[in-house]
Amino acid sequence: MTDFQINLTIAVFAAVILCIAFDLVDMVVAALLGVSTLIVFGILEGSDLMPIVHTAGGPLSLLFGGMVVARVIGKTGIFERIGDLFLRATGGSGRRLLLLIVVLVAPLCAVLPNATAVILVAPIIVSVCRALKVDIVGPLIITAIVSNAAGMLTLVGDPATFLVGSAIGLSFLDYLRMVSLGGVLAVLAVVPLLPLLLPKIWEARVILPEERPPVTIERPGFLVLSLLVLLLMVTLFMIGESLPTRIVPPQVAIIGAALALLVVYGVRIEPVGEVIRAVDWKTILFLGAIFTLVQAFIKTELLQGLSIQVYQWFGADLMPVAFVLLAGIGVLSSLLANIPVVAAALVMVTGYLVAAGAAPEVALAPGFVHWPTATLPVFVAMMFGGTLGGNATLIGASANVVAIGICASHGSRVSFMQFLRIGLPIAALQLSVGALYVLALAAVLD
Amino acid sequence: MKLTARCFAVLVLMLLALPQVKAAEVLNGVKSRGQLRCGVSEDIPGFSERDANGQWRGLEVDFCRAVAAAVLNDPEKVDFVPLQTSARFPALQTRRVDLLLANTTWTLTREAVLRVRFPGILLYDGQGFMVAAAVKVATLADLDGATICVEKGTTHQRTLEAHFKENGRSVKPLLMASAQKAAAALFAGQCQAYTADSGELAAMRLRAPGGPGSFVILPERISREPLSPVVWGGDPEWATVIRWVLNILILGEEYGVTRDRLDVAIKENRNPLLRQNPYEGEMIARSMGIEPQWGIRVLRAVGNYGEVYERNVGRDSPLKIERGLNRLWTHGGLHYSPPID
Repeated sequence: MTDFQINLTIAVFAAVILCIAFDLVDMVVAALLGVSTLIVFGILEGSDLMPIVHTAGGPLSLLFGGMVVARVIGKTGIFERIGDLFLRATGGSGRRLLLLIVVLVAPLCAVLPNATAVILVAPIIVSVCRALKVDIVGPLIITAIVSNAAGMLTLVGDPATFLVGSAIGLSFLDYLRMVSLGGVLAVLAVVPLLPLLLPKIWEARVILPEERPPVTIERPGFLVLSLLVLLLMVTLFMIGESLPTRIVPPQVAIIGAALALLVVYGVRIEPVGEVIRAVDWKTILFLGAIFTLVQAFIKTELLQGLSIQVYQWFGADLMPVAFVLLAGIGVLSSLLANIPVVAAALVMVTGYLVAAGAAPEVALAPGFVHWPTATLPVFVAMMFGGTLGGNATLIGASANVVAIGICASHGSRVSFMQFLRIGLPIAALQLSVGALYVLALAAVLD
Repeated sequence: MKLTARCFAVLVLMLLALPQVKAAEVLNGVKSRGQLRCGVSEDIPGFSERDANGQWRGLEVDFCRAVAAAVLNDPEKVDFVPLQTSARFPALQTRRVDLLLANTTWTLTREAVLRVRFPGILLYDGQGFMVAAAVKVATLADLDGATICVEKGTTHQRTLEAHFKENGRSVKPLLMASAQKAAAALFAGQCQAYTADSGELAAMRLRAPGGPGSFVILPERISREPLSPVVWGGDPEWATVIRWVLNILILGEEYGVTRDRLDVAIKENRNPLLRQNPYEGEMIARSMGIEPQWGIRVLRAVGNYGEVYERNVGRDSPLKIERGLNRLWTHGGLHYSPPID
């Protein structure tokens, strides 16, 4: 890339973010105009298509599959029934609603991809909010934020943690032993901010009506088949990668969507075309355009090229570097999709660690996993930054975009600033908790 | 919905319709930037250092200039990036530099594991030892049990320990962050010897407090150190350009084309190196992605290999390193270029 192209890429990216932030133009249009500009100036080329598909294909498949399955299950009436149970559990309290979201969504996201989990629980949360007469926006944003933070709970909870963890050879159990506690703390960090950020919902209290008779499931066979599809999906999410033919979560989502459509077709609940039309294509298109913009940003190699610069700034002192990475990747992940950011940052960090003499020259090789223990906090800091930074803004994570898409489909449009007012304080606190955890981890490993 | 779905299809089609995979990524980057970013050793006399006027000089520097002359038609279009040894490969991998010339030994581990390419050997060297002249050390056997300064992140540490172990001797390596620090530690008496490529030892000896004569380089060499330019492994076209810039330097010496006699040789049109069919020359250059007459530009910029060697590290330099293995194959050395045709 020439200097002009690098500067133009940054300018286009900034313009797109500003257009979305200040609501100057619809966010899909802003992102597509940004992509078009980069194509016209030769920054995005045909050769970029495969990296874009490689990065965006997974998250978009997960969204598509989750949306189809959620739509099909929604037709069974089971969401209304679970919604009733959830509503009873809140006892009419907004405070309990928010706390239950934290308690229920976090473990769910340990086994389901974040955005898929948001799609599945959103109908229940929306119905409970309606019954409690509170705005759906706050609870759905909290759902997205908790789902993102819960990605830190296990090695496979978020693509960013998996990317970093697998790059340094961390096993599932190693992760549980050394990093998961940090994830728990990040999830819990949401709780003290709830009364401050959503005071109306926190204080809301309604007297629940008498318990109504359970919603009748009109087609039990359809329900059973739909739940079997969901069960198969969840099972494959958990064990698919261990099967002789490896099935990764995005593939599971496509298989789940195909089976769910087969059920719809077989039971003739509604035309298959209706289900496909109900998919939130606007959200998928927006994320596709954002992933495309991020590919252009990664091509500038600004992030990767910082390794020598970081060494010149901080020398071989790893802890300041860990904190800078946590904050820097956190900020970048709040504006860009975290997967390519973390992938580029990995190149930068391995380069830095070799330049600093903290790791041997062969650590630059793909697949090197024998990292010295002293370097672990640096990688854990990257995981915190990549996973939690996305909570700050509306475009920081797929789950956020999905949540606001659901809000829009229920007539509540969420602006960039509206999300920021809730997301930014939570992300800042979670990243601070992450920094303390990294410090403690370094002390323990020392 | 229909509109956004169509937009999505249009986006994918737009990307599919774009020009397909572009080869020669580094070469094209250098040309579009108009500058070669060359990673060189940090201040080693004879190899890469800045003179009193701030001008870069040395064997590595001349090679960078030769490449810039071939690719950019101007030997001055080089951004020299001095690199510590440990930062060499990170700088190349993160594309901070287009070409690495920092006294780097060609090894299988580096080529296979780091996925870089070594286009050819610029200098045949070997790992030697420098000791104070006043100390009675004549051979390596006299260094049994000694503390030896060695630069961190080089192949020298492992070779040092392996050599002493194989010979039933012990050694205490004292790891230093740079060649300068390793040499300074020897001069300060922190170690009994300093081990590195013999060329680097000769360079550092120039900076000895009591003059070069106060330190000696032992005659033994414990390794072969074929020093090569290094390029990123994903751009074979770029590796080809670098390899043939090196080969043209060697061919220049083989055919007796010197910088001073270049114009005469072109005019006489008798030298086999310069007597190329213009059509073929153009075809080769176009295939390499550079402009025709690149070989002439290289030789005009820095001279042939012998001139580059003698000027920087050989008899015309303060280092005065014998050519030894760095002579042409016709004179008992190892430098040999494949033919152009």
